[in-house]
Amino acid sequence: MREQSQAQLPAASAPSAPVPAEAGEPRASPLPWVGGFLALIGVGAIVAGLARIGAAELIVSDLGLGVVGWGPFVELVIGGIFAAKTSVMHDSLAATLGAGDAGGGDLLTWAGLAVFVVGWVLIAVGLRSRDPQLTAEGMSIRAPLNPRLASYRDFHWGTLAEYGFGILLSELALILVYTLLISVGADPKAQLDEAQRVFTPVSAFLVALLLAAVIAFAGGYLGAANSKRLSTPEATLAMLYFGLPVPIGLTLMHLVPTLTIKVGYRLREITYLSSLLGESRPQLGYWLVFTLLVLMLFLGINTGFVATSSGRTDVRGGFELFVANRHVSVFRPRLLLGAFGVLILGILPPLIIYAFIAAAAAQTERTRVRQLGLKDPLLAAEALHRLKGKAQRPTEMMTALSVGGVGVGVMALIIVLSVMSGFEQDLQQKILGTNSHGVVLKYSDSMAEYRDVMKKVATVKGVAGQTPFILNEVMISSEGNISGSMIKGIDPETVGSVTDLPKYLLAPSKLDWLEDPSQIERKHLTGLDDQPSELDRKLPDDPYLKQEDGKGEEEPVLPGILLGRELASSLKVVVGDRVNVVSPLGGEMGPQGPMPKSRPFRVAGIFYSGMFEYDSKFVYIHLRDAQTFFGIKGASGIELKMDDIDDARRVTRAIYDKLEGYPYRTKDWGEMNRNLFAALRLEKLVMGIILSIIVIVAAGLIVATVIMLVLEKRKEIAVLKALGVSDGGIVKIFLSEGLQIGVAGGLLGLVAGLAWCFFIEKVGIKLDPQVYYIPSLPVKIEPLQTALAVVIAILVTFLASIYPALKASQVEPVEGLKAE
Amino acid sequence: MGAFLEIQDVFKSYFLHGKRIDVLRGVNVAIEKGELVSLVGASGSGKSTFLHVVGTLDAPAAGVMRFEGKSVFDMNDGEIAEFRNRTIGFVFQSHYLLPEFTAAENVAMPAMIRRQDNGAALTRARELLDRVGLRDRADHRPGELSGGESQRVALARALMLQPALLLADEPTGNLDPSTGEGIHQLLREVNRELGITAVIVTHNETLAQSMPRRLRLKAGEVVAAG
Ligand SMILES: Nc1ncnc2c1ncn2[C@@H]1O[C@H](COP(=O)(O)OP(=O)(O)OP(=O)(O)O)[C@@H](O)[C@H]1O
Ligand SMILES: [Mg+2]
Repeated sequence: MREQSQAQLPAASAPSAPVPAEAGEPRASPLPWVGGFLALIGVGAIVAGLARIGAAELIVSDLGLGVVGWGPFVELVIGGIFAAKTSVMHDSLAATLGAGDAGGGDLLTWAGLAVFVVGWVLIAVGLRSRDPQLTAEGMSIRAPLNPRLASYRDFHWGTLAEYGFGILLSELALILVYTLLISVGADPKAQLDEAQRVFTPVSAFLVALLLAAVIAFAGGYLGAANSKRLSTPEATLAMLYFGLPVPIGLTLMHLVPTLTIKVGYRLREITYLSSLLGESRPQLGYWLVFTLLVLMLFLGINTGFVATSSGRTDVRGGFELFVANRHVSVFRPRLLLGAFGVLILGILPPLIIYAFIAAAAAQTERTRVRQLGLKDPLLAAEALHRLKGKAQRPTEMMTALSVGGVGVGVMALIIVLSVMSGFEQDLQQKILGTNSHGVVLKYSDSMAEYRDVMKKVATVKGVAGQTPFILNEVMISSEGNISGSMIKGIDPETVGSVTDLPKYLLAPSKLDWLEDPSQIERKHLTGLDDQPSELDRKLPDDPYLKQEDGKGEEEPVLPGILLGRELASSLKVVVGDRVNVVSPLGGEMGPQGPMPKSRPFRVAGIFYSGMFEYDSKFVYIHLRDAQTFFGIKGASGIELKMDDIDDARRVTRAIYDKLEGYPYRTKDWGEMNRNLFAALRLEKLVMGIILSIIVIVAAGLIVATVIMLVLEKRKEIAVLKALGVSDGGIVKIFLSEGLQIGVAGGLLGLVAGLAWCFFIEKVGIKLDPQVYYIPSLPVKIEPLQTALAVVIAILVTFLASIYPALKASQVEPVEGLKAE
Repeated sequence: MGAFLEIQDVFKSYFLHGKRIDVLRGVNVAIEKGELVSLVGASGSGKSTFLHVVGTLDAPAAGVMRFEGKSVFDMNDGEIAEFRNRTIGFVFQSHYLLPEFTAAENVAMPAMIRRQDNGAALTRARELLDRVGLRDRADHRPGELSGGESQRVALARALMLQPALLLADEPTGNLDPSTGEGIHQLLREVNRELGITAVIVTHNETLAQSMPRRLRLKAGEVVAAG
């Protein structure tokens, strides 16, 4: 027994008959309400002020961030900074124009900000000054107060400290640990030398994030264990005053130039990491991480509360599941089949089918009842009664809806992400089909010694193929048209070992014709172009041209050239036609500088890679022809193919070392197409976030469902508690109910999403080839990403049901029993 | 160490519309192990409230309750849950069975909460139902039972784990005299055979008179009834 709880109260005369309470219930402090009102006015003023200076437009256009949850708040902050920046501009503008009120909106914004802050301070003060008066005047008791009443406190400073330090420490730990890990093994002089590092940015981030999440969780757990309740005011304050400064600071760092200069270099690893998400919106990353940490704190608080209020954490759940399954029987074939049908076929078809089946079933049942009625009227009456009494509980409908909602979200996530992965893979394949995995270049015009270099490169492990090349920009003209192009001199023998060019050639093109252009088939399709064209006769005395090809034809043997399909059609040429290649450089010096150089080629082939970029811009000639045309000795560089494209960065690095660096340099495909893939990744992330909104809406549905369940079951919760189920047990019952909905929805979504992907892959959804340049929608199911979609959905539903489950556990037995 | 169950200075008031209703005004009572106690009192005198407080279903404003010397109100939620599960058997004024479960499952519920084997619990639940005369209603849901039947199922549920203390709030209120007498007989039997201490609230004066110890709730205090 605790002595300290025996708060002895002034003894008085024995209580009399019911008396009116003089004091009534103690009034709550009005400060939080006043504060909240002020804060609201502040927000209004800020918005109005921003609208005056035009920043509101910016904010509204930026509201996409709203999906992260902190969006409007972040935008307000950004808007404020924008206002600060433009105020200088406005003042000078006002001065020059002589207009007096240009600064008004600005003033309003700052005033609003001040009111906002004051409001929050009032809220804080009001919350903390609300200490209850436990002197029980008017009621004279000589007994010790109920310990719970005696030890009740409204505000726990210790808990605030634990929550606050939990979130702050987790943020700092994330930043410090990440910075530390990323610099392990890095040469302090060469900061961006990624090959030497032990941790990649992503792995270092994951390790640091895990640690931060654990710290946030622990802070929440300890705080809740300390106060033995959820302590929402403390959590709110901790988040606002301890949690927000770091992400706000980081966000500001990107927006305020002076800050960027002052502290930016110290946090360069962090800014680098966040820029991986997208150059233009590094804040997105901070707020995502912050949201995650807050969630972890929340999870810790709930776990701590449940664990300490019941004195132990009981992980067994057999009984709780038994009860939960009676409350929401999610895994009923009818429900699952129905939801699946809706996901796959849409809403109407399953409804129609259901209507048919139900009508048929009712009809047979009625017939059965009629026949029964002739034999056994008692049985028939009962059957009829049951037929009518099949009314569903409202929560059952809600359950079905929630399952469907989560299913739709997961399905959409899986389909869209898989299609985007498909596009990405397709793009990567096409880029790597026409492009190499890496290149060796030299800091000079040409690499005359390319054969030696190739020998050295061949000794490096991981290199699958290599081919020399010359790259230049030229103009290509035919009789029909003219076009700017990238021309590439290739070695027909080895080019196939690096790119898929040989595979892309359309009949009747042949790669060998580059080697021996005299073989090129002249087209005899239309007969229109049979005679030597005007171009053929134009430069008859070019020394480069070989003599007659012995067939007695007048046409000279021209060097061969390969064109992309798009280029060929825009130039209106086919295999065997002539084109003129004009290079701005390489000609003789004329009176006004270098003269353009022009030379005819014969189309030896047409290729189709599927990438518009390549099919319309690239042309290939023999390396030998390129050497003479551009006056280059050797090659511009060497293209490489690796055994494993994901290893390209390391292999190019090894080659660089092998060649002993300068004057050589190497690049891998990721570097060559960095922007493209970064954009793709960002796009996918944003798509993922947007689609997660569906899951979040579904989670809202789950919250509503579980709350309805709790309300419906108040009496039963009370009975269960009276029979000895602990608070934790009640939490588990309702958590598992929410979780069942989430798991059923997630699995349904997974199956439906995979079915859709399979359908798209096998049957195909045709795309307009004019627009997309890809015949049908590509899909690629990435197991990790798909699993992540399901896991996240289930996690969200789990988090969503925490609140109603806690509410359920707080039902007092007597209150619940009396509830109607 | 004091009595088996010791209740000191328990206060409980309700505030409603600015009026204070003092239901319990310093209840003092001690009950010995194995006693069979009846509690009578006018309607609205606070008998149910008292029973709820003893059963830890309601928290008093002040007071001490010791069960086998241990202060009950000082327990944390986990301990209280265990106390309710293992020590107390409660029969409510209205039966409060769980509608999703059959009569047998309802009876077996305390054992399942204690995480005993489900099969064994259900077998024992059927025995108990047999004992209260409901052998062929074991698979009925509460909605398919009569009021008196439900009350008997609730009694069986309270006896499932052979609690040290049985608290019954008018267990015979819905029963015809002969069935009611049967229930009282059963209560006396479990009291005698299993040594279950029982406090039984009743309006039936003759039944109350037949109990060895009689208490009356009057003006917010518990006094011995004549
Ligand atoms: N939640 C409540 N709020 C206000 N007053 C209440 C509340 N619950 C009970 N009361 C009042 O407390 C008094 C005692 O109620 P209680 O249920 O204990 O009576 P009782 O002795 O069991 O009556 P009965 O014999 O009719 O069951 C009653 O006057 C009732 O009106
Ligand atoms: Mg009563």
